[in-house]
Amino acid sequence: MSSSADVSGEASKWLDAHYDPVANLYTFTSCVDLADLGGDGENKLVIGDLGDGSCGMKLKVYRGTALVSESTLLDLPTGLVSFLMDLHEPRIPAVAVASGPFIYVYKNLRPYFKFTLPGLEVNALEQDVWRQAREGQIDPLALKELLEGVRDTADVPLSARSLRYLALEREDMQEFVSLHKAQPVRRQTVITCIGTLRKSTADEDGVSCLVIGAESSDVYILDPEAFTILSKLSLPSAPTMMDVTGQFDVEFRITVACRNGNIYILRRESTKPKYCIELSSHPVGLVRVGKNVVVGCAEEQLQGFTQKGKKLWTASLPAPITTMAAMDLPTRGFQAVLVGLANCEVHLYREKNLVSVIKTPDVVTGLRFGRYGREDGALVMTTKGGGLAVKILKRTATFDERDGAPGPPPAQSVRLNVPKKTKLYVDQTLREREHAAAMHRAFQMDLSRVRLAAAKAYVKALEAGLTPVSARPSVPLKMNAVVQGLGPAFKLTLNVQNTAACRPILNLTVSFLYDVGLYSMRTPYFRIPLLVPGPVYPFETLVECTSDKGISDVIKVFVLHDGKTAPLLTAHINMPVSEGLALT
Amino acid sequence: MGLFDKLAGWLGLKKKEVNVLCLGLDNSGKTTIINQLKPSNAQTQDIVPTIGFNIEKFKTSSLSFTVFDMSGQGRYRNLWEHYYKEGQAIIFVIDSADKLRMVVAKEELDTLLNHPDVKHRRIPILFFANKMDVREALSSVKVSQLLCLENIKDKPWHICASDALRGEGLQEGVDWLQDQIRTLRT
Repeated sequence: MSSSADVSGEASKWLDAHYDPVANLYTFTSCVDLADLGGDGENKLVIGDLGDGSCGMKLKVYRGTALVSESTLLDLPTGLVSFLMDLHEPRIPAVAVASGPFIYVYKNLRPYFKFTLPGLEVNALEQDVWRQAREGQIDPLALKELLEGVRDTADVPLSARSLRYLALEREDMQEFVSLHKAQPVRRQTVITCIGTLRKSTADEDGVSCLVIGAESSDVYILDPEAFTILSKLSLPSAPTMMDVTGQFDVEFRITVACRNGNIYILRRESTKPKYCIELSSHPVGLVRVGKNVVVGCAEEQLQGFTQKGKKLWTASLPAPITTMAAMDLPTRGFQAVLVGLANCEVHLYREKNLVSVIKTPDVVTGLRFGRYGREDGALVMTTKGGGLAVKILKRTATFDERDGAPGPPPAQSVRLNVPKKTKLYVDQTLREREHAAAMHRAFQMDLSRVRLAAAKAYVKALEAGLTPVSARPSVPLKMNAVVQGLGPAFKLTLNVQNTAACRPILNLTVSFLYDVGLYSMRTPYFRIPLLVPGPVYPFETLVECTSDKGISDVIKVFVLHDGKTAPLLTAHINMPVSEGLALT
Repeated sequence: MGLFDKLAGWLGLKKKEVNVLCLGLDNSGKTTIINQLKPSNAQTQDIVPTIGFNIEKFKTSSLSFTVFDMSGQGRYRNLWEHYYKEGQAIIFVIDSADKLRMVVAKEELDTLLNHPDVKHRRIPILFFANKMDVREALSSVKVSQLLCLENIKDKPWHICASDALRGEGLQEGVDWLQDQIRTLRT
């Protein structure tokens, strides 16, 4: 596929609705969401802006192409989700921004609640050391030595304060100790990722719980109204990305990509991971499509897994992945994965097939597909340089499956027009399955009967001499007949052979049985001389067809023995139709 | 047409019937515009999103309009093309305040203009740049630029800034449409 074909192909799929290269937005996919914050049926774009990394962090809301609200965030946001926290009308979703160990919940774009993750256990030795410092028993240098000792030996890690202290230069220590010694030592974890999980219904407007992944390798599920911890699940490593599906009260599944390069799948019934996917390289993107999980790996690969962790496929990418997002269009039943690449492209994968390539003016860092404004198929992209682009999927866009991988030709998968199974067929099949033994028995019995009948008939034929071969041991004879001529005169030749070993046969006569209205025969009865065993004796006789109706009949030949009424042999000669007319 | 009908037509008693298609994206104000054009005793108070389409009738000084008020929702837009054949004029409504979806409106307009039932017919198209009361609304000139209306060479067209809630600008547009239909007929 050529690049020009690609570009024209893309123009028939996506409309460029908006592009602002200097929107001053610096964010990632985890901090971008689309939600109806006004309750007016028009979705807004909510973005947690990271600013320049140390200041200028903001919560920004866009409506259409314009920025409508901006509020300052205290710390760097690590994740942003919108969720319905109560059943009040109008159903306006709240926005939860995770930063540090806190979750700031905004309602109607006003700060509403701040949730703090529970503190972790503090090393008793460390606490004791700081108490001594507070009481002035040890000087800053001794404090440093003691803390280093604690760090190297204890199994509970040091608090952030102690670690900061250990990193300080000598001249700053005194000041740091005097500033902090009064406060008790706390060890706090930070939030790494955030998601939502519907509480009890699968409806679009159901109340959702917040699901939080923390640096302490734990996953917390929060009650949407009281912000109490409903459930705590633990992982072998710190989570970095997660995907949540299901309902908290019924059954849920949390797929978590962890910092140790593995993906764990947590389920409702256990607080430990149920399945584990070990990847060959670190995961950089995690998207669920239907029941499958698509993972973007650091080695420029896209891998598909089942929900139980079985690998389905692998696709190679032309450049490293920057971000990934799901594309779900329920009205068209279309599900795919959007992959932002470092070469300024966004690829759209459906299963392992690349169905669309979007060229972007800058490297995309944030992606979100969903309803924006009143348009269902909107793709929001934020770029590395701080730009914001919105593309809209055309109503007429179709994605054709182009499977680049070699495999069976498409003609092979075309279904044959096999007629439907009739009721009769199905009934018969059922009957056959149920009564197989009885049917087999009945068949065997009928077969034996047929064989018996055939044998009886054969024996009868032999006994009555109805065959052209005599089986009688006293007179072993063989005969065949040949008809020559076109008619009306035919020559009939009988070839008779004595098949005995040495005994000649005497006193035989031949008689013909025929329809006298049809044929006339010169010698309808004659005697056969002595037959020596071995040679074939031809006996000729002439038959004349007397009818001019063009019909034929059978002439029967009997070989008789003197003094016996039953024939030794019988032959039936099918006379040919007379081609000529008898001269009269 | 019977003799009496012809006579009534000459005398101006019976008005000529004309079929008009009212198209545009969802939430652009099509039903509101048609509602405003109806006689005041037939107007409804609350406008809800149209499902499928509605047929409305109203009269001007010389014509009797039958309007197919089509739904603008994405899933119903594929119904539009089935009515192109019957339409003798088109009213295309644009939400001037929805800058994001101006491209979608342009896309739908281009699809309409390139449809075989419309392409080679000289049917008048009236554009309403609606929702002029909204603060961030674009001007009608800007809307016609964004939709590239100057490229329509083979059909008479006209764009009107309108505010369907208060009925402003609608009469101007309908008067233009009436003139166009009359000149096309004669």
